[in-house]
Amino acid sequence: MPDHAEDEAKYYDDPEWADIEPIQQADQGPNPLAAIAYTDEYAEAMAYLRTVMARDEKSERVLRLTKDVIEMNPAHYTVWLYRAQVLFATHADLHKELEWLNETASQYQKNYQIWHHRQLIVSRLCPDPASSAATRGPPFPGAGIDVDSLVAKETSFVASMFDKDAKNYHVWSYRQWLVRHFGLWDKGELEFTEASIEKDVRNNSAWNHRWYVVNGKEGSEGVKEEKVREREIAFTKRQIRLAPQNQSPWNYLRGILRKANLRFSTVQDFCIEFADLSKPEGDDVFSSHALDLLADIYAVDEGRNEQAKRCLLLLKDKYDPIRANYWQYRLEMLDKEMGSGIDSHLPEHETRNLTSAVSV
Amino acid sequence: MTSSQENGDDTLDELLKDKARIEELSDDEDEDDSMTGPPFPGNHLKPRRKRKSKLHPQPQRKLLEIPPWIFDTNELFHNDVKTPSRNALDKTAAECLRFLTLLDIQGLPLNSHGLPHLRRKPHADFLRFFLGPLQTGFTAMDASRPWLFYWCLAGLSFLDVDVSDYKERLIETVRPLQNPGGGFGGGHGQYSHCACTYATVLALTAVGGLDVVDRKTMWQWLGTVKQDDGGFRMAVGAEEDIRGAYCAMTIITLLNLPLELPPDAPARKGGLTSFTDKLGEWVGRCQTYEGGIGGGPSNEVHGAYAFCALACLSILDAPHISIPKYLDIDALARWLASTQTTPEGGFAGRPNKLVDACYSHWVGACFALIEAALPGMKDGLWNKAALQTGPQGGMRDKPSARPDGYHTCYSLSGLSAAQNHYWYDSKSNTTDAGSGRLLAAFNWQAKRGTADELAVLKVDEEDVVALIHPVFVLRLEAVEAARRKFEAGGL
Repeated sequence: MPDHAEDEAKYYDDPEWADIEPIQQADQGPNPLAAIAYTDEYAEAMAYLRTVMARDEKSERVLRLTKDVIEMNPAHYTVWLYRAQVLFATHADLHKELEWLNETASQYQKNYQIWHHRQLIVSRLCPDPASSAATRGPPFPGAGIDVDSLVAKETSFVASMFDKDAKNYHVWSYRQWLVRHFGLWDKGELEFTEASIEKDVRNNSAWNHRWYVVNGKEGSEGVKEEKVREREIAFTKRQIRLAPQNQSPWNYLRGILRKANLRFSTVQDFCIEFADLSKPEGDDVFSSHALDLLADIYAVDEGRNEQAKRCLLLLKDKYDPIRANYWQYRLEMLDKEMGSGIDSHLPEHETRNLTSAVSV
Repeated sequence: MTSSQENGDDTLDELLKDKARIEELSDDEDEDDSMTGPPFPGNHLKPRRKRKSKLHPQPQRKLLEIPPWIFDTNELFHNDVKTPSRNALDKTAAECLRFLTLLDIQGLPLNSHGLPHLRRKPHADFLRFFLGPLQTGFTAMDASRPWLFYWCLAGLSFLDVDVSDYKERLIETVRPLQNPGGGFGGGHGQYSHCACTYATVLALTAVGGLDVVDRKTMWQWLGTVKQDDGGFRMAVGAEEDIRGAYCAMTIITLLNLPLELPPDAPARKGGLTSFTDKLGEWVGRCQTYEGGIGGGPSNEVHGAYAFCALACLSILDAPHISIPKYLDIDALARWLASTQTTPEGGFAGRPNKLVDACYSHWVGACFALIEAALPGMKDGLWNKAALQTGPQGGMRDKPSARPDGYHTCYSLSGLSAAQNHYWYDSKSNTTDAGSGRLLAAFNWQAKRGTADELAVLKVDEEDVVALIHPVFVLRLEAVEAARRKFEAGGL
């Protein structure tokens, strides 16, 4: 970051801005809290921004001003929101904006604003991809765009962001929006999640994205459809075998069973691969998550309550003592046969919640 | 932790450059966060200086009894395939172990159980520092200054510091942040924003300065961010996420604003008439197949968003009514419990992510809310003792991070959740017959842990953090004062 303090006044001496009376920061009393010693340049730019916003000026010079402020403080949500309005009002070249965002996003990854801004720009460029976007759209440079090329650029840019941080929350949210907006459900997105999971089987964000790609499309059955379900269960089992003590695929497996309304006992043999209780001392346990699921499987079957209890006790005392309180709670629920804490029967409200969670 | 006063010049300088926190939610943790340019979250994660411990020769000490989760279970499953996540998790565990086992006490004074004391004065000094004049590096916080007011003033009050002296200064400071159209922005001339307004209103509540808030325009502004689908945007034209839902309902309830939408609220066109319309359903849509809560429908589960969801629902109605009504509570309980990490004992924000002290609050504070909604709950769902033995020698993300106001405030809140008892009084009214105000969030009761309980946690009486409201994250008295102040309602 350049040292702005050494620069000359940028706007005050510029004839282009001579018509603007900058609004200085209002008085905050004799002893304001957390007062920041702004550089002269930042204070000056903000003063001009206050004035143009008060006048609701949307012009080419305001684009330069907003860019200037963003480069000094990219977390300034107001200037991002105002810039979007100015871009649209001045029919600015939105492709250029995306190019600039590419550079900026790489520098400021943990930023809410930049991804929301990007979404505004891309949806403005292509408001309705389904209806021949090549000809429709508002009359500004960028209308008549090539949707496929835009999508390719966006998905590859996003993928490059994951090379820097494979779990960036905002970037994954944006990726979901791309899938939804451009209908990328069957266009290589599943393979993308597979590649992400292959890179790091513990990347929970990639698992969540896979769930979305499989189940998120409006009107789609997702894992309720047998063919899809079989594929997903097989995929998940393969990943669990790579790293049995990995919570992400176990959560995914539970999610499938519940959404598809399957009895948990359909994966009993699979769980036993990682927690064979027929061995003495319960020594053959390679995954606490397998024990947890087995406890639920046995709990539905009245004759096997003792086995469920054994799973929970093993978790509490040996394999997962940090959660001793939680396992104890589950044990008590088992004793009371209240069924709470034991997802066996898929009460209707659970199914409803899980279904609604993915039908956006 | 090290207070600003104790630091040498170079570390103070680093502190100044490290602009504390820009986001409400901690989301930066992995090891490779090399940034250039202005200070930004994540910058501070690379250890850059030697620990100060050589300045404080460590006495020979006997080790306390090591809890089973620190060594035993960590060894059980580690024959798994190595991936970037596994490596980062192992690195963090290794980094924390010397503190967990008290091999390194960083020269801190110890309590009667052999754990470091809660050092009230250095923590308080540290928070006061961020309320003072701040150097140029903090420009990156220019749009989130209200968070500094809240983190520091609330944090000080959690340490039993009287913050009422700050009342006039805070009122004068925030006056230009209030917009004529209602709500507060991050600074003069900035758009009103749910997070900035939430932080400002909470800070004002902490010092008893709510008179400066224009309630009528606040109500009108909130009407502009309520969405047809039931949720809230963070600002007009900004993103819609679950923070907006929690922040907006907190503001409405503390200030006792009418629940009815203003006449010109855009959501009226979608058939909505009240701020609460479709809100519970919208929160429910944020629960995912994993049982946890995402920032918006279908987004990944995240501990901070779980708190926003539970707290929002706990404002709408009694927790045992509203939480099971809109969420799969068993799946959520399982997910919340799963976020406590082995061996550290703190919480991670997402599965397979790293432990971070701020989640002591975001997840820790969830338990009082969800336990109040679970039938047959006796001893709680989580391991309070493990949190105490966590890296308590600083209010920071993890040992290799530098402390900041955000982590100090929320670590203190997390400690309070572990040390004290919070329960819901289900006999009290949930709606005020006169003003229509939602009262559920005001029905929480709290008491300090007993001497026996504190002994189990290895905490001395003087190390106990104040009672903190489980929904509004302020001292209970401050919340009660706001309840009384606006009892009459109206505008």
